Amino acid sequence: MRVTIAEDSAVLREGLAGLLAERGFEVVAAVPDAVALRAAVEADVPDVAVVDIRMPPTHTDEGLRAAIELRQRFPTLAVLVFSQYVETRYAAELLAERSDGVGYLLKDRVAHVSEFVAAVERVAAGGTALDPEVVTQLMAASRRTDGLDALTPREREVLALMAEGRSNTAIATELVVTPRAVEKHVGNIFTKLDLPESGTDHRRVLAVLRYLRS
Amino acid sequence: MAAPSAFPGAPGPPDAPVPTGAPVLPARSPATGSASAPAAPGRPLTATLFRAPVDRRTWSAYLYLAVAAPIGLAAFVTLAVASFFGALLAVTLVGIPLLALVVLGAREYGVLPRALARELLGEHVEAPRRRSARKVGFFPWLQASLGDLDGWRAIAFVVVSFPVTVVGAWVVTVATGMALALLTYPAYWYLFDPTQTDENGVARDSAMQFGEFYIDTWPRALLVSAAGLAAMFVVPWFARGFAMLDGLLVRWLLGPTRISERVEDLEATRAHAVDDSAATLRRIERDLHDGTQARLVALAMQLDMAKERLTAGDATADDPDVARARELLDEAHRNATGAITELRDVTRSIHPPALDRGLDEALATLASRSGVPARVETRLAVRPSPAIETIAYYCVAELLTNVAKHSGASGASVTVADRDGALVLRVHDDGRGGATVVPGGGLAGLQDRVRTVDGRLTRASPPGGPTVATVELPLGA
Repeated sequence: MRVTIAEDSAVLREGLAGLLAERGFEVVAAVPDAVALRAAVEADVPDVAVVDIRMPPTHTDEGLRAAIELRQRFPTLAVLVFSQYVETRYAAELLAERSDGVGYLLKDRVAHVSEFVAAVERVAAGGTALDPEVVTQLMAASRRTDGLDALTPREREVLALMAEGRSNTAIATELVVTPRAVEKHVGNIFTKLDLPESGTDHRRVLAVLRYLRS
Repeated sequence: MAAPSAFPGAPGPPDAPVPTGAPVLPARSPATGSASAPAAPGRPLTATLFRAPVDRRTWSAYLYLAVAAPIGLAAFVTLAVASFFGALLAVTLVGIPLLALVVLGAREYGVLPRALARELLGEHVEAPRRRSARKVGFFPWLQASLGDLDGWRAIAFVVVSFPVTVVGAWVVTVATGMALALLTYPAYWYLFDPTQTDENGVARDSAMQFGEFYIDTWPRALLVSAAGLAAMFVVPWFARGFAMLDGLLVRWLLGPTRISERVEDLEATRAHAVDDSAATLRRIERDLHDGTQARLVALAMQLDMAKERLTAGDATADDPDVARARELLDEAHRNATGAITELRDVTRSIHPPALDRGLDEALATLASRSGVPARVETRLAVRPSPAIETIAYYCVAELLTNVAKHSGASGASVTVADRDGALVLRVHDDGRGGATVVPGGGLAGLQDRVRTVDGRLTRASPPGGPTVATVELPLGA
């Protein structure tokens, strides 16, 4: 898998490059800001771009803008953005059109390297990766309290993991249950919340998020 | 400490407590160009004396008196009539507003004497600063107008300046006339050959006498003429004196008071300090985020990588050193992630990054993280300054925290709107009410913060609820 990294802190940028290289990625480029990111991707499109949202010059959301723009121009490009704080709006903007090959993590997640690398791999393969913290906030802020209250605690756990973009197998591993059990829970959730049928993992992320934000 | 000096030109003691309304006395009077200055620096006294009748400043003074006297008369008469009717009608409801209008009118009238003084006397006096109206409504207006100190000072000016200018104009006219009469006496005496009868019945060839001394010979006539000529050099100083006196009155009574100038200065510097501190905090937050936070994340990442590498090899599983190293790495990793979280909380309390995208976004984030379900509605036509936005944000943060902790409410609503040039923020909760402000508590701190920008924080919290906290922050300060 070929990856391009955009991160303004040199220490972190080199750390990420080292980590991903160690885990089998080919680091195509490591750049410090959004302008360089655009140039690097135009020059050589990778499979996935790992982008810090907040970069020079304005230190607001240049990374996010660049990521969305590059995804529109290069539909095969997967993008994983990360930020210091949870902003549910960022997730919404990223997922606005397509939810395949998109990820949004908190920077803290990088400190748990295996999870981070797994998320990058998932996104590069066309799936979705939302930080659990983002999902927690979305669920807490959701006005669909009546619907969510109707779920059992286990079902809520499954819902959260679904929203993160995990596959049924991954959820089963996480919760230490059988994949069959997970499938049953998922089915119940879809029925109780009246979610539309969605085939792939990333589509159901969209469905869940739409539900939570409505 | 002695009271501020009342003599023109003498500087008052710089740190004396100045009673409200004390006139501003310039420590250095604006000498250049002013009709009151006796001489330009460096010019010999004799030259000044001889130039006086034709000096520009003399004619400015003449013109000033000629214009100011009738204007002052008109103003005085208007003031007297209006005050009379106002006082007369004070028993009815019409009189009081009329008096208020008189005070206001006097303040506005001040434009004219200030302009005159500026153009003709070179006295640059600024208009006194207006107090911005705190509340709207008829009675607040009435109160503010009747109590307008600058208006009353302007009224004092009209009353005092009128005799000064009128008397000055009269004196100058009479004196000039007399000087001219003396000067031209020989010509008159020669051409018209007047006669006077003295007390002895003897006819004298004169038109002027000083007691027994009749001006009836050429030497005496020329003497009188010389006196008239000398007088012509003295009269200008009368004019300039009266003009200078009136100019001082303008400066004393129609300019800003020292207190109001100090207030203006303090307001400007405070606004600067507030904006400056907001910018500084933003910079600190950015430095912490971009530098320190990133470095901590890198540290934690590398610790995790080391941990995994150590866990990976099965061959080293029994080595006690390896086991110990793994423990230490585990702990180190936990410390690092803990540090990341703590630092993030600190920076968030310094400057919420969400604010960069606007108050509505930041408040939405606050609401979503609030312990109590909160609804946010923001209706702002124009984006406020960063300092105001920050204060508004922290008000909502603190208020929502209070709601979550103490009110037992099931829901809260936050509304932000601009109204009459102020940002009005309202946090409403349906909790049990009965909230009070604890000295030294978070809400007291908020009040202090709000007051630094001349804002207000009030809370209505009857026991049993609901509670509404209202924050008003001026916009466009």
